Amino acid sequence: MAAEPIIELKNICVTFKEDKRDVHAVDHVDLNVDRGDIYGVVGYSGAGKSTLIRVINLLQRPTNADASVKVNGTDLLGLDASKLRGERRKIGMIFQHFNLMQSLSIADNVDFALKKAHLSKADRKKRVAELLELVGLTDKADDYPAQLSGGQKQRVGIARALANRPDILISDEATSALDPKTTVAILDLLADLNRKLGLTVVLITHEMDAVKRICNRVAVMEAGRLVETGDLLQIFSQPEAPLTKDFIDTTTHLESALAAVNQQAAIKHLQVGSVLVQLGYQGESTDQPLITELYRRFEVSANILYGNLEILQGTPVGNLLVILSGTPKHTEQALVFMKEQRVSVKVLKSGTEEVSVHD
Amino acid sequence: MIDFLTKIMPNVVENWSGDNGILLGIGQTLYMTFWTTLIGGILGLILGIALVVTEKKGILANAVVYSILDKIVNIFRSIPFVILLAVAFPLTQLLVHTTIGPKGALVPLILGSAPFYARQVQNTLVQVDSGVIESAEALGYGPWTIVFSVYLREGLPDLIRTSVLTIISIIGLTAMAGAVGAGGLGYIAISKGYQRYQNDIIWVCTLLILVIVFIVQGLGDLWARKVDHS
Repeated sequence: MAAEPIIELKNICVTFKEDKRDVHAVDHVDLNVDRGDIYGVVGYSGAGKSTLIRVINLLQRPTNADASVKVNGTDLLGLDASKLRGERRKIGMIFQHFNLMQSLSIADNVDFALKKAHLSKADRKKRVAELLELVGLTDKADDYPAQLSGGQKQRVGIARALANRPDILISDEATSALDPKTTVAILDLLADLNRKLGLTVVLITHEMDAVKRICNRVAVMEAGRLVETGDLLQIFSQPEAPLTKDFIDTTTHLESALAAVNQQAAIKHLQVGSVLVQLGYQGESTDQPLITELYRRFEVSANILYGNLEILQGTPVGNLLVILSGTPKHTEQALVFMKEQRVSVKVLKSGTEEVSVHD
Repeated sequence: MIDFLTKIMPNVVENWSGDNGILLGIGQTLYMTFWTTLIGGILGLILGIALVVTEKKGILANAVVYSILDKIVNIFRSIPFVILLAVAFPLTQLLVHTTIGPKGALVPLILGSAPFYARQVQNTLVQVDSGVIESAEALGYGPWTIVFSVYLREGLPDLIRTSVLTIISIIGLTAMAGAVGAGGLGYIAISKGYQRYQNDIIWVCTLLILVIVFIVQGLGDLWARKVDHS
């Protein structure tokens, strides 16, 4: 798919005045989303994600004069109020707390989005039925929001957001109020809509699991800035910013495992010729019987202390914490061999204690 | 039947119809309540909506307009109604060309009840979930659609409840207006019942006012329950 930018945010600043103090909720951010992306912005609460995402449809205006907000090639900041409202209809939005109208039935909540769609009554009815079917809620048409579960309410929110056939769907923590199982179902629905309708999705979340499940691109946000952006695989396999590593650890638990491993006696007293390494591999390199090969070629034994395997966009990404033991020379050769096999090797600790006489 | 009624409440039967009769009083009370509710209600609703949309986080936030409206409401709400009746005399004369009778009472009644209702409307509508307002903005709707299709629709059940409260307080005000010659059941209860020691008239007038109040309350509750799906 040719990368065609659909959302281009340039030099966005949002500054709030709070007790005479300036709070930089969004601080000089550039964000580019390509058509067909599922773009995840991840960060802790207070990082400015919600503010940033609202700039896309100008529910929040940048507070600096030299900001630029282009969606679908249109400069939104240059539009008058009525044209801007027209553009907003092409950007669907879903919310953490669903924001449905309590006084309207499910069908009417979806229909509410079609007020300015210039459809006949019959066409509106048809469109509502289509949308409810799309999200699997046909049988709930006459219910009211209060009768629905959280996941069902979010489905209504999605149906409403898609009513005007938008190119873009913005998701503001849409799964944060849902239980894990429902979260997965909603995320899968978003991924499905992305494939079926070519919908570009921008989602913000504090859950790395959500990003990992459906996003192809990721931005990590902290204190109003994007500290790291990239492809999901790249971010996962070579995270650079400390915050990115923190977030990835919330789903791989690698750092926490390492902390535990470091407490073990075998690691504290690592012998000469032994090394503690972190092995990272992805895609085809996982197909090789690496561990066996190490022993066959170099007589180096591998003791796996912790392992994590993720399937990201169909590609396996693995991380192992391993102690390699052999003669110092052989261990060195083994490390070189693994690098040749496109396995990333990070030596965490080399043994220093002399080999004690074996009993 | 008439004999029995004459026996237990002679003054009521005697003063039932005719000039200044109880029947006429019922009509006058209903007349004042109806027009005050209608005109005061519309004014109060507009004022209340204006307060909600112009306040700090409103969809048409405007600090100057808000503070002016806010002060007007506060001033009119602070004037005791009996005094307002007198203060409003010149304006009443100007607008309806009389200061007595039910018609003459309308101006002060409206001046007294509209700001009260405006505050009620404001308090009700600010409770409409701001997230729902935001979602309507995200759907590309302007202030008019948001006011009519979101605020007034989502706030309707509570709006009905506060309206009932306001109507009941208007009924109370009409009785007070009776004291300065506006007529109605309050006037009859005071001038014929209290001042002439005809206790049966006081009781019947009270009862009739209660009946009106209960009917308003009952219909309001019924309607509110019908539109409330939360």
